[in-house]
Amino acid sequence: MAEVIAQSGFTGKQTAQRATTFALFPRPTAKTGLVSWLTTVDHKKIGMLYGGFAILFFLIGGIEALMIRTQLMVPNNRFISAQLYSELFTMHGTTMIFLAVMPLNAAFFNLLIPIQVGARDVAFPRLNSFSLWVWVVGAILLNVGWISHFVPSWNFGGAPDVGWFGYAPLTSKSFTPDLSTDFWVLGIQVLGISSIVASLNFIVTIINLRAPGLTMMRLPVFTWMALVTSFLLVLALPAIAIALVMVMFDRNFGTNFFEVSGGGQPILWQHLFWVFGHPEVYILILPPMGYVSEILPTFARKPLFGYPIVVFSGVAIGFIGFGVWSHHMFTTGLGTVATAAFALATMAIAVPTGVKVFNWIGTLWGGRIVTRVPMMFALGFIWMFMMGGLSGIMHSAAPADAQQQDSYFVIAHFHYVLIGGATFALLAAIHFWFPKFFGRMVPEFWGKLSFWIIFVGFNATFFPMHFLGLNGMPRRTWTYDSNMGWNEGNLFATYGAYLLGLGMFTYFAVLVWSYFKGEKCGNDPWDARTLEWSIPSPPPEHNFAAIPTVHARDAWWYEKTHKEEIAQEKAAHIKAEESHGGIHMPDQSWYPLFAAIGLLVGAYNLAQLHYPVTMFGQQVLASHLPLAITGLGLMVAACYLWALEGPGGYHLHIDAEGKVTESRDDHH
Amino acid sequence: MTRIRFDHRPFSRATRALVAGLGLVLLSSCKLADVFSLSGNQSTMLTAGPVAKAQWDLFMVTVYVCTFIFIVVGAILAYAQIKFRARSESDEHAEPPPEAHGNPLVEIGLIAASVALLVIIAIPTLRDIWYTHDVPEDEKGNAMEVVATGNQWWFKFEYPSELVKLPNGGEAPLVTGNELVVPAGIPVRVQLRTIDVIHSFWIPKLAGKVDMMPNRANFLWFKADKPGYFYGQCAEFCGESHAIMRFRVIALSPRDYAQWLENQKAPARTVTPALLADAVDRSARVQFAAMKRNPGEALSASPAFDADPLNAWREMQHPDVGENAQLIATGRQLFAAKTCVSCHNIRGHEGVGISGPDLTRVGARSTIAAGVLENTHERMHAWIKNPNHFKPGNKMWFGGYNVKDGDNWKPNFTMNDQEIDALVAYLHSLK
Repeated sequence: MAEVIAQSGFTGKQTAQRATTFALFPRPTAKTGLVSWLTTVDHKKIGMLYGGFAILFFLIGGIEALMIRTQLMVPNNRFISAQLYSELFTMHGTTMIFLAVMPLNAAFFNLLIPIQVGARDVAFPRLNSFSLWVWVVGAILLNVGWISHFVPSWNFGGAPDVGWFGYAPLTSKSFTPDLSTDFWVLGIQVLGISSIVASLNFIVTIINLRAPGLTMMRLPVFTWMALVTSFLLVLALPAIAIALVMVMFDRNFGTNFFEVSGGGQPILWQHLFWVFGHPEVYILILPPMGYVSEILPTFARKPLFGYPIVVFSGVAIGFIGFGVWSHHMFTTGLGTVATAAFALATMAIAVPTGVKVFNWIGTLWGGRIVTRVPMMFALGFIWMFMMGGLSGIMHSAAPADAQQQDSYFVIAHFHYVLIGGATFALLAAIHFWFPKFFGRMVPEFWGKLSFWIIFVGFNATFFPMHFLGLNGMPRRTWTYDSNMGWNEGNLFATYGAYLLGLGMFTYFAVLVWSYFKGEKCGNDPWDARTLEWSIPSPPPEHNFAAIPTVHARDAWWYEKTHKEEIAQEKAAHIKAEESHGGIHMPDQSWYPLFAAIGLLVGAYNLAQLHYPVTMFGQQVLASHLPLAITGLGLMVAACYLWALEGPGGYHLHIDAEGKVTESRDDHH
Repeated sequence: MTRIRFDHRPFSRATRALVAGLGLVLLSSCKLADVFSLSGNQSTMLTAGPVAKAQWDLFMVTVYVCTFIFIVVGAILAYAQIKFRARSESDEHAEPPPEAHGNPLVEIGLIAASVALLVIIAIPTLRDIWYTHDVPEDEKGNAMEVVATGNQWWFKFEYPSELVKLPNGGEAPLVTGNELVVPAGIPVRVQLRTIDVIHSFWIPKLAGKVDMMPNRANFLWFKADKPGYFYGQCAEFCGESHAIMRFRVIALSPRDYAQWLENQKAPARTVTPALLADAVDRSARVQFAAMKRNPGEALSASPAFDADPLNAWREMQHPDVGENAQLIATGRQLFAAKTCVSCHNIRGHEGVGISGPDLTRVGARSTIAAGVLENTHERMHAWIKNPNHFKPGNKMWFGGYNVKDGDNWKPNFTMNDQEIDALVAYLHSLK
């Protein structure tokens, strides 16, 4: 081990020698309290912040959905206005995708990847903190328009109302003159920055920070799927980033990318959007496939069936996922050959997806299935994902899709994939890893009760929608007439939605209760298989007292069956690391947060660029340009100071009894 | 080895009974059969033409294949879940099964089976992509062409081969709004255009949708097997009132269609006392069966209308009984005085505008406001009184009734109930 450390160039002492640093602020060192959370670089705290914000937005998106369902409960309803309805379905989609499922996945990336690869943090801890706060900025920009409904003088025209897909030319200044679309454009753009930064961080972490012995083909499947997802994000997001810049230029600087009167081509937006938007579907579903691939072996008590095929099918989905985007555009007049090509590619992507399902069933086969709450959600995932996947195959038949496109059949399909699939897997994952990160169990009874309410409510909501769609009900419709045969299906779906809402409320209320009162648990309450279960619950700041050496695919399962060998190895590792100055930990920093605040000020003002700045009814500035430049300047300054500040760091020392002491005297 | 705590079945009999009871209440409050009914006015199952039928038949192929997969895979999954379930604490903590990692033969076999099943879908898919794309070669000579243009939030229909004389002596294609009348049994090729944002043209019983894309020459085709009255709707989100951008397609027998065309091509009907005295003239123009009509719950059609919409539509082609020439003349004056003429065309009368629907025969249409309201006197009155209530954000309200004053809207004119009654009488005289 000593040689390994020497070869890696990691001595701990080198950091101390190189530092010539400049700091405007004293480096924060608080371990608890508000400052510790605002300045944290600990991947576990960052993960929890992502998770907490994401659950908050998941509930907001859910309330938006319930308002939509209430409006559609009866025909010709006037519960909410057409305008508010447009805002609600736009923000429901945008929120659930960008502010709920993606950050929940990001939360698990943060919480699990460093531990599953046997590292003490991500590769770039401060950059990780930056991604988090930039994500918060994006969430604020997207939602700031709601304030117009309460404070009329903040006239942003309400929340975004052009649909989460924002099809040009509806997004142009002539059709959406208010500011809501500008905030939508910048909000999504900023979220994209956050995702790209985070993805690069995870790619480097997974490839470079793997513990000794952890070859790529020994990586836990979740980490593999996170790696594929990170590559998808890095490759897909630039497409929408470019498209959003084009919309911004059309709206603010008179360009004609999508402006029909200037010869622009609105179809271009759709291609750019779906080149991002389809990989995005896999960005949402691949990590959930990862959770399920961890949970099923644990509770079937046998290893994942066909590990290499599950991994390679995930990679194959990632590749083919970039070649099927136009199946979202079968009705746009692609022509016969293009339609045929994308129809066949779409059928092809069903194969690796089906392979995953077969392997999950193979994992159960011959196992001893222990029916705990995470397992129930994971099994629910397989069933519901199968249904969503099969209705997806139905869409690949392009001529049949001409009837289903933009109908409730599609709504049923993708909610089976995104709730029955992604969300069920996320609920399984939250329940599964909650004991690890909070040290307490969630009660089985309440977990199972919430599972059944969610399962029944979900199917009651979305199963009838297949029939509504086949009966000709288009989506994104604020109301419908009573003679269309849609009354009963909509009423039933709305009852189902309330039940689903009740189930979600139960699930999260029980989590809150468990956080305070749940039964305490040890390292490994589920008798699980991967490295995170080898360390205490909740994990210490430094994760591992000794960096593990990985001998097999399910590393912790191997450790449990080879206790003596591992104990000797660990003692040697601790000794070697101590001889190099102890465990090196990164320092907290204010600058990622400051850079994000600069971005917030910049983007908030960039959105309203051409409008005068008023204060107390008086015009102060002719445009928001000076404020936008100030904000972006603040961000650049914070990034510069961040670089000057240096990585910093301190050391932890673990004595024979396992007591941890801290030393930071060797530098600063 | 760590032991997982064993929990007994967590739900008591009482809990299960409660859940079942709640489920029954939920089910009984809806007519369950209606939840899964496919018999609506926009059903994609009750097809009325070859394009929609090809699409439904292909859909059913995918349903059969996918149901087969679901049953086979689901049965294996269900069997595994039941058979390999740990049934007691000792079962859960029995020696874990051998650490098997997979079986290449099983994997390859399953992949091959999946591909084979997909080929079953792929073949008819490819065939139908070409079939549904354009009118088949052997029917092309027989096909008629119409141009459909999407507007926020209504549809304009033009008949390029049916030219009408304009008052200035020129000629232009026949134009209607929100009701597309076609002959049954003849392929119709619809050129799809839009004047503003993207719309999508969808008549579920006749053909799946194709988008109306700016700067793109899209089209679709359909054929109605028999005369009928079909519901259609915009299927691409196009702004605030997208939900109520609807239209109708009326397929007529060739003889009825010719009669309809002839009537449409004539200039707008002018009601004079002399005309009203001549009852023969009134019924001679269009010979359709008469039907009684009742107000109903739906905004766009009464139950009686829906019971036999085609006949009800035919009834609409007749001039109303008891027309008041004086009131109609007042309405005609108001139509000009209230600036309606600047957006709506009434060929032969004062209306010259093109940005709103052509109203030359508005009285003969079964619906108004783009398929939203049944075309009765009461509903037209309600529509004219407050169009923004029925179609939020529409241009008649924002731009007609109200005009822009800086950043705000200010009223342009007002109308009292008597004036609206006169307008309704005038518009309903336009048959």
